[in-house]
Amino acid sequence: MTAQESQAATVEQVDTAQSRVTLALEIGLYPIDVLYGAAYIFIDRAYVLLDKDEGVGRPGRYLVHLRGKNPMTKEQLLGLSGEFSNELLSQALRRKVVKQNQKLIEEITTQAIAGAAGGSLPTDFLANQDDGLDFLDDPLGIAVPWEEKFKKKKDEPGAAT
Amino acid sequence: MATASQTVLLHRALYMQQAIKQAAETFADFASFAISRQGAHYAVAIADIDPEADGDVVAEFCNFALYNTMQRKRKKI
Repeated sequence: MTAQESQAATVEQVDTAQSRVTLALEIGLYPIDVLYGAAYIFIDRAYVLLDKDEGVGRPGRYLVHLRGKNPMTKEQLLGLSGEFSNELLSQALRRKVVKQNQKLIEEITTQAIAGAAGGSLPTDFLANQDDGLDFLDDPLGIAVPWEEKFKKKKDEPGAAT
Repeated sequence: MATASQTVLLHRALYMQQAIKQAAETFADFASFAISRQGAHYAVAIADIDPEADGDVVAEFCNFALYNTMQRKRKKI
């Protein structure tokens, strides 16, 4: 196996006349979801055509044909293919993180939905709600006007005049 | 006036037939499409391409077919 063959994504062909670059990816290394994810990111910048090379006597490969929507130089096409390779890695990592945290994500989502639906509040919170107060009661004196509160102080001996 | 026809091969493992049909419906005003099976691929014969259509109708059609496939696969999950 040559150094180029051992790479996960290789540039198979660059066609500057058609502004097209073809990438080859080993099927075993990139799940199809990762390929779709990367293709989705590029679909507004380039024409993306996917193909599959079944491979006789060697592992199968996905072929990704990227064509610029505007004319592109060889450097730009190689840059585009490099960005696509980076996006593949990004999508693969993203997929791995989601898989690892799936239980946690599901739990948080379930709690959020239950909360929004007015479901399960903590039991001690509900128990403390009935404290025998009417809604007009003001045990902390919050509703007392400022003037009333400080009028008494004014009448006290030694208060400023 | 319409231009000559083209055939595009879309691998059956990567593109869904319904997604291709949906893309063909989207571009029906700009060309006519005939979908058939050819080995591991769907062969889409695109004819009567409107020469006055903006952009590359065939390439845009392929992008739409891919996008529709992704959408449909996501719904399945």
